[in-house]
Amino acid sequence: MIGSFLLKKFVQKLAVLFIVMTLVFLIPRLAPGSPIDYLVEDPRIPGEVKEELLRKFGLDRPIFPDQYLDFLRNVMLRGDFGYSFMYQRPVFDVIMERLPWTILLLGTALAISATLGTFAGIFAAWFRGGKKDYVVTLTALFLRSLPVFWTGMILLLAFSYYLNIFPMGGATTAGTEYSGFLDYVADVLWHLTLPLLAIIPIFTARYLLVMRNTMVDIIREDFVITAVAKGLEDRQVMLGHVARNALLPLTTMLAIDVGVMMGGAVITETVFSYPGVGSLIYDAVMNHDYPLILGAFFIVSVVTLVATTVAELLYAFLDPRVRMGEA
Amino acid sequence: MGAVGTAILSVLVGLAILAPVIAPYNPWKIVAEPFSPPSPEHPLGTNDMGQDLLSELLYGARISLSVGFVAAAVATLIGTFIGVTAGYFGGVVDKVVTGIMDTFLLMPALPLMLVMAVFLGPGYFSIILVIVITSWPPIARLVRSQTMSIKKRPYIEAALAIGSSSLRIMFKHVIPNVAPLVMALTILRVGDAMIAEAALSFLGLGDPTAKSWGAMLHWAFRTGAFSYGAWWWIVPPGVMIGLAVFGFATLGYALEEYVNPRLRSV
Repeated sequence: MIGSFLLKKFVQKLAVLFIVMTLVFLIPRLAPGSPIDYLVEDPRIPGEVKEELLRKFGLDRPIFPDQYLDFLRNVMLRGDFGYSFMYQRPVFDVIMERLPWTILLLGTALAISATLGTFAGIFAAWFRGGKKDYVVTLTALFLRSLPVFWTGMILLLAFSYYLNIFPMGGATTAGTEYSGFLDYVADVLWHLTLPLLAIIPIFTARYLLVMRNTMVDIIREDFVITAVAKGLEDRQVMLGHVARNALLPLTTMLAIDVGVMMGGAVITETVFSYPGVGSLIYDAVMNHDYPLILGAFFIVSVVTLVATTVAELLYAFLDPRVRMGEA
Repeated sequence: MGAVGTAILSVLVGLAILAPVIAPYNPWKIVAEPFSPPSPEHPLGTNDMGQDLLSELLYGARISLSVGFVAAAVATLIGTFIGVTAGYFGGVVDKVVTGIMDTFLLMPALPLMLVMAVFLGPGYFSIILVIVITSWPPIARLVRSQTMSIKKRPYIEAALAIGSSSLRIMFKHVIPNVAPLVMALTILRVGDAMIAEAALSFLGLGDPTAKSWGAMLHWAFRTGAFSYGAWWWIVPPGVMIGLAVFGFATLGYALEEYVNPRLRSV
């Protein structure tokens, strides 16, 4: 039972990866004016270099079947992403330099938002229907309505331009000699603060709303009435029974949000010029850096799909009904 | 809560419709010094080209609201159609559609939007298209499960018994019954679509000459509103986006509660 469940999920993930990558392969090639034209029309590149580049990257051959088969063989099977047009270096190396920053930023944001959101959600559900619940829920709805790039710009304006206490961007201060490891950590955290402050309110609001609504739903279930009837205290009922069960959907949402955040990183990292994979995708797409786009999408998709798989496993582990195919 | 949303949205829609009448200047005309801070003549100051920002903001309401609304409406229409079909017919059709839906739900939406928008060429048509492509699956999923529960009701059986065709049952009995939910969904989706539009415009994928709130923030970011400390350029568009999305969210939730009484607070 568990074996076939896992196999089905795994095959689905492979299919998604395959479809996403094929789309990302095809869209630029089928769209008018790119990426070959882009490379050739770039006036900064001399003629003979262009032709050599086209040959080198195999862009002079037909898309079907030559280029597509190459793509399947190199990228999908061997994980060989080739060379970036922009950086003139292996795509894999470029991505691996950037990935740790994204993981640091998103991992921290996710952990803090999930913790804050869970507790605030329990708080709102505790006072459900009351004034406190109303205020908290409405604030969350409002925070969730703000575009992350705008909160980012406001933070930059307030704390970098006017107060001058946080940097305008980047992940570290360029050209600094660090006196020690702690010095380095302090600099990294200093750069991390504003991007975190931009992301955290929006995601905290998300988790707060899910936690609160799930709890309010669960409160009506029979086992909660039983718990109350057998004389448990409010605290025991709300935390031990209701909140505990509400953590289930939250867990799945968290893992799915790894993907959502990865996508959002394109914007957040662009606003803060943070050197992660998100801003890399943006630069790659804007510069029609074809191998880099494919490589970055491959990594982002794999990270997202692994996170989703973890969510599904967790859910199946926490809620046996899923394994049995009931829910 | 619904009243708050309705009030906010009525004001915003009113401003959008009346923009040509109430805007103090033509937002494409250069009317003052670049980067002028707010003053009596220009209550929200001017941008890097010396265009009046209040006028831009008012005109921006038109594109931001209509792009959000059109994208959400089309996505809901497609999602409803697919969801009803899958839920009504079940079997192989349902398996295939559910497979496609799950695949779409797992895709990295925003990066894909970026790739599509860049290579389709910048402009609002591309933006609407990519929002629709990436946002129909959750709608289809909800409508599908709703359809499945409606299908089990006795009046559907009765309709089948008197020999109604599938198409007739779908349009006469299923769709009218999912319609209220679909309405609430559309309203909720407009907010998401507006955020997506703002994000894509912010990344520079909108029509470069058009005025939208996202586009205003794009130009503010690109032309160094920071180095002038031009808060009057950066703050208002975000407040407007936030208000509009908040308005749609509160109205949507209120409608959803009305449509589905189970959701009403205990």
